[in-house]
Amino acid sequence: MKTLRLALILAALVTSSFAQKYAIVADKLYTEAGNHPAGTPGMVLIDNGKITEIRSGPAPAGYTIVRARIVTPGLIDTKTTAGISGAYNIPADQDQDESTDPNTADVRAFDSFNPNEKLLSYVNTFGVTTVQTAPGIINPVAGQAAIFKTDGPLSPNMTADDLSVRPVSAMVFNLGESPKLTYGREHKAPMTRMAVAALIRKALFDAQVYNHKWDDWNKSEKKDLSKQPAHDTKLDALASVIRGEVPAIFNAYRQDDIDTAIRIAQEFKLKFMLSSATEGYMMADKIKASGAPVLVGPTLQRLESLETDNASLEDAAILANAGIPVGLMTGFEGYVPKNRVLLFEAGVAAANGLGWDRTLRSVTIDAAKILGIADRVGSLEPNKDADVALFDGDPFEYTSHVLAVFVNGKETYQREQSAP
Amino acid sequence: MWGQILNSLRILLCVLVLTCLSAAQEAVPLIRNTSVIVFRGATVYPISGPAIEHGVVVVNGAKIAAVGPEGKTPIPPNAKVIDVTGKIIMPGIVDSHSHIGIGSLPSVQANADVNEGSGPLQPQLRAMDAIYPADPRIRMATAGGVTTANIMPGSGNVIGGQTAYVKLRGTTIEDMLIPGALGGLKMANGENPKHYGARGQAPMTRMEEAALARREYIKAEEYKAKWDDYNKKVAAGDKDSKAPERDLAMEPLVQVLEGKRIVQHHTHRADDIMTVVRLADEFHFRVVIHHGTEAYKVADELAKRHIPVTLTVVDSPGGKLEAINMNLEEAAILDKAGVKIAINTDDDINSSRFLLREAALAVRGGLSRETAMKALTINGAEILDLQNRVGTLDPGKDADLIVLSGDPFSVYTKVLQTWIEGQKVYDHSIPADARYFSGGFQFGDRYPALPASAAVGEGAQ
Repeated sequence: MKTLRLALILAALVTSSFAQKYAIVADKLYTEAGNHPAGTPGMVLIDNGKITEIRSGPAPAGYTIVRARIVTPGLIDTKTTAGISGAYNIPADQDQDESTDPNTADVRAFDSFNPNEKLLSYVNTFGVTTVQTAPGIINPVAGQAAIFKTDGPLSPNMTADDLSVRPVSAMVFNLGESPKLTYGREHKAPMTRMAVAALIRKALFDAQVYNHKWDDWNKSEKKDLSKQPAHDTKLDALASVIRGEVPAIFNAYRQDDIDTAIRIAQEFKLKFMLSSATEGYMMADKIKASGAPVLVGPTLQRLESLETDNASLEDAAILANAGIPVGLMTGFEGYVPKNRVLLFEAGVAAANGLGWDRTLRSVTIDAAKILGIADRVGSLEPNKDADVALFDGDPFEYTSHVLAVFVNGKETYQREQSAP
Repeated sequence: MWGQILNSLRILLCVLVLTCLSAAQEAVPLIRNTSVIVFRGATVYPISGPAIEHGVVVVNGAKIAAVGPEGKTPIPPNAKVIDVTGKIIMPGIVDSHSHIGIGSLPSVQANADVNEGSGPLQPQLRAMDAIYPADPRIRMATAGGVTTANIMPGSGNVIGGQTAYVKLRGTTIEDMLIPGALGGLKMANGENPKHYGARGQAPMTRMEEAALARREYIKAEEYKAKWDDYNKKVAAGDKDSKAPERDLAMEPLVQVLEGKRIVQHHTHRADDIMTVVRLADEFHFRVVIHHGTEAYKVADELAKRHIPVTLTVVDSPGGKLEAINMNLEEAAILDKAGVKIAINTDDDINSSRFLLREAALAVRGGLSRETAMKALTINGAEILDLQNRVGTLDPGKDADLIVLSGDPFSVYTKVLQTWIEGQKVYDHSIPADARYFSGGFQFGDRYPALPASAAVGEGAQ
């Protein structure tokens, strides 16, 4: 233990000064890449922010050695408001819901993202290295999500650009209670689920027409500028969804809302995924047939609305058993606690039918594949970003500790240094 | 015709196995146990002493008759023996801060009976008058191993009302209430009661919150003095003395001043906690700090006054300013300073299904496992004045116990059985019961069952 502490402190001392070469040595290494027997001793070599080699045996010279009992890829939260919905929960730090217009297709989470947000740093200390930060749950057409790395206590003063993985990763659509309750209160549309669906369909239909107009214009041989379609930032954003360049995320809780999401996505032939999917376990076959992956969760959420009343800890397991690609998400919390922790959500999933192996995949490589970022993150293999989580025991046990976290080859958190 | 017969059969089946939708959403009726039940084979954590391997727990009626190791603990010949070899038995969990039953599921305005937001001083209110015994959250709590709860009004008022100390079974609040237990008095300061400020009403500031409380207790002191004087005269044989007028709002405060009713005080920030301490010093009342997010900053002040803290261990900081300094080390720091700690759910802030998990997170933050076990049981009982009935497995105490599948602090552990006064109120092997743990109980038989899974921990693959 003492040597470990010394190594960690030494490691931290040099981290800040220059790009470090690390050898992360694990009693049990889980690479999630098929390049190393899972749960056996192994070593991850890191150089200049990237993983260079997975190997066994002694560490080569010139590397700072960091040891841990269990080493996994950094965890990926597939949908959260961390970074745009601040810990203080006061209007000054709540930037997730532009609830002035039910269609805010042109707003980008990127432009609200605060890299210094306490909650981002907090989840980093629990092994979360990548987050898809998405607009909130109020607007039927809520805007564009983005994917970021997290910074931690040892890596302050990062910018959104420093942390960016995908500045635009998805378009978020919200169904169910939140849109109709928010706008209905002011006697504005949508007041009903019918209007929520109609509003989304209208937006997508308009984008289809807009897309055709631009197609025609782009194909036309002589460019008569007087006939050039006018640019519209919302329709531009939605047209990229219509063209399948940006995936759609439909957030829905109740069975009928999930069904509506699938109906609309299929009508417009969207590349889409479902999020929350609280009652998804009741309709696994239908979701499977739709081809949509599901970002499940959070299961530790408060049951504070009718549509989350049937939340089941077994949701992820039942969906995965049906062959649906499953990632886990922490979503949005409106009170105390302000944020869920992916690691804790994963523990609940692991213990309630998903099992250890599949759970680890759902928060690493499977999540990366669902989000389309598996070329960079999600597993430990050469040329991938050096995002690594180090644990002193079963990562999913509440009583285990995260010993250290690496993001892009930099140590962002270290337990020995950060304890109060 | 066939449809009718099938329907009748289905109803009959429902009645028989109690798995139909309606049956699954009822309270567990109180059935007083009159038999002798013996649990054998488990590792028993009596809390009052070290763990007993291959332990035996003998229950007679509603009470524990004996606890000890196999071989040294006589098993009555007429006993019904339950083999729980390889399992863990610990006392039923005492949740010292909960809102189950008073804010029932579904979570809609029609069920919102937690905060009487019509005025900041509500000592005359009684939680017992708003508790719905059929709230599914009560069943969910037993699925988490909770057997005793302090059900409280919310923290929107400086004085929120009288709390109810209950057992989690029965179809009426009378079944649930613990005989002879007055309950506590809910108070709050800090951010929440300031919501009146938005309406231009008092309190708008922390200053006024404290002033409101002081005015009320000074009134109560005067009221008490009048009644004391009257009672003294009557005791001295004065038959002409006229009784002072009864004041329902003052009576619970007098009970507080007399030390019969404990102030259960919501408070987060260190300065707010010290405001509570000042009130307790001035009016000499017994108080428990609830939540106490920053209690660790004033741990010595609390320790020297023997003021306990019941913590709500949450996932992350914030959600409100006064909870911004939340951290998992709080429990460990308080314990080290000599402060008695309990751990509560504040359900629905945390789900009662996960109270064991909260204690495990405190262990993650450095709390010893031994203290964490006490924080779930006897310490909770003590801060409710219920230590003579619940909180440990000792002869003469209520037969409230839970059977766990493994280590109390493991994510993989399930509560297998929950017993209250010798009556089984939760059985994980019955699917309709298990749905109160997993969720989805409203779907009844339509809930898609998972195949039984084997051990799932790291390295199990």
